[in-house]
Amino acid sequence: MGSMLGDWPSFDPHNFSQLRPSDPLNPSKMTPVTYHPTHDRTIPPPNQVISSESKNIILRHLYQHADEKLRPKRAAFENLTPEQGCKHPRASASDMPPH
Amino acid sequence: MFRSHNVAARIFERQICTPAPGTSIHCARRFYENLVPSCTIYDVECPDHSFRKFTDDGRYLISFSRNHQDLIVYRPTWLSFSCKDENCHDLPLKAKRFESFFTQLYCVPLASSSEVICKDFFLYIESNQFGLFATSTAQIHDAPAVGGAIQGVPSIEKITFHLLRLEDGVILDERVFRNDYVNLAHSMGVFLYDDLLAILSLRYQTIHILQIRDSGNLVDVRAIGAFCREDDELFINSNMHVPMNHVGNGLQHNEPFSDISFLSGIKQRLLSFIFRAIWNEETDETLRIQCLKKKFYYHFQDYVDLIIWKVQFLDRHHLLIKFGSVDGGISRNADHLPAFFAVYNMETTEVIAFFSQNSAELYFLFEQFCDHFHATSKHSLYMNFISSHSNNIHAFEQLRFNKNKASSSSQFVKKMLVSLPFSCQSQSPSPYFDQSLFRFDEKLISATDRHRQSTDHPIKFILRRQPYSLKFKIKPGPENGSTDGRTKKISSFLFHPVLPLALSVQQTLFLQPSVVNIHFRK
Repeated sequence: MGSMLGDWPSFDPHNFSQLRPSDPLNPSKMTPVTYHPTHDRTIPPPNQVISSESKNIILRHLYQHADEKLRPKRAAFENLTPEQGCKHPRASASDMPPH
Repeated sequence: MFRSHNVAARIFERQICTPAPGTSIHCARRFYENLVPSCTIYDVECPDHSFRKFTDDGRYLISFSRNHQDLIVYRPTWLSFSCKDENCHDLPLKAKRFESFFTQLYCVPLASSSEVICKDFFLYIESNQFGLFATSTAQIHDAPAVGGAIQGVPSIEKITFHLLRLEDGVILDERVFRNDYVNLAHSMGVFLYDDLLAILSLRYQTIHILQIRDSGNLVDVRAIGAFCREDDELFINSNMHVPMNHVGNGLQHNEPFSDISFLSGIKQRLLSFIFRAIWNEETDETLRIQCLKKKFYYHFQDYVDLIIWKVQFLDRHHLLIKFGSVDGGISRNADHLPAFFAVYNMETTEVIAFFSQNSAELYFLFEQFCDHFHATSKHSLYMNFISSHSNNIHAFEQLRFNKNKASSSSQFVKKMLVSLPFSCQSQSPSPYFDQSLFRFDEKLISATDRHRQSTDHPIKFILRRQPYSLKFKIKPGPENGSTDGRTKKISSFLFHPVLPLALSVQQTLFLQPSVVNIHFRK
């Protein structure tokens, strides 16, 4: 490959096949040195799309904060919410301290 | 980026050099250091109108007639004149007129005989060139608290919001509020975000969300207050007529809804959020109950009595709501009264956060991300360039200086948070207020459009960068100062957002005609 690009490797041996060496008297090998990755830890996920976060940074901070507050106290939180979802008046308030 | 101050040299440099990434607009704005409104036409003869402001795209000048019944819209233009003399350094007299700079487009009557236009209220919808104006009848103080209204808030018989197409002055739609009260001064009770309007009815404690369609119609989206979701009212009404036979005092007939004292709507959401937050702080049962007693039940009635003071959008779904006590809702100086902030999600009807008025966390967000409180819609890109302490080092240094000088940190935080929630469109986008370009006395003039005490001395605008020279002065009032030095005078300044053109209006308090000066670049 020689020339200005140096002897840098590529993952595909067929890359740079159109490149002509700058010095015709010294035709260095046309195929670049080929390296393959030995693991796939750094490959991006197949459907990855990178975009900017449209949510307001203040709201992002507040939601994160709310999540953090709830997470360690999960057990207490679950005790608090009633099991069913529909609205009906509370029969008694026995577990509330007297006002 | 520019090595020279000379405008021709800067233009050549601009042809050759690429600005640093993301700074092309900042570099372009530096040409405003060269083109300044240094020439003043004093006491120009102009129609006796109350000039309100330039629209944020610079297309229109909004003014109201003296009797507050008509709207007059002008188109800002630029003067052109011809001169027969050989050396024409000074402007000919016929060019020094109001009409050289402004062409009247139309005059539309907005208020009927018993109403007046609120001259402090104006919102501009840039995408469609619509303007929102408000007219109201007289205020009635000590109005009785009937029909769901709260005590202590005056009542106005009729408030009308008019949506106009500013191109031709056609009234597109109106929305009327009867026997209600909306804080119209400086557009404080109404917030515009993109095409959504939040109108806060102080008297009925309801946030009306409206959408402005491209066709010019005002469409109701929701009303938050007694009800949160759109079908809450239907649910409660359909269950209203259940006979309450089991009530202890033996009532047999149907109880009307308003007599049942359960907290509904946003108040319920707020109190349950506060309760849960305190509940989640402690895992130990006894400590938890103690905490609740101390922090929640002790103040329970105070929390129940909170009313909504002000609202702004944070994005299309989230509102920042300021709560306070009944006494401070309409008064200007409510700073000594306790206040709280809540962030509310309109879609899920959940309260996300709740802060007291000296919350360190809220102050941190205010200090670091002030610009994000000015919810920027895609149509208002110029908002990104209005100097604030989050985007400008000079403004930030000033804030830091004030913070270090403050005797009490919590008092300082409280004072800073008083400006939240922000009012929309209250700051001028003019580059002459850009703190990176010019230094000026903020007590005498600033981007915020408020009336200020007028002095006889001109207000200086000095370059921030080398050579730190005085670039131009704005002097309100007559050229030789006023003869009467003792009368209190107030000034307001209208800066065109793009052109080197500004109006200064000086008024005395005795309804004398105001003195209007035009400042422009000759």
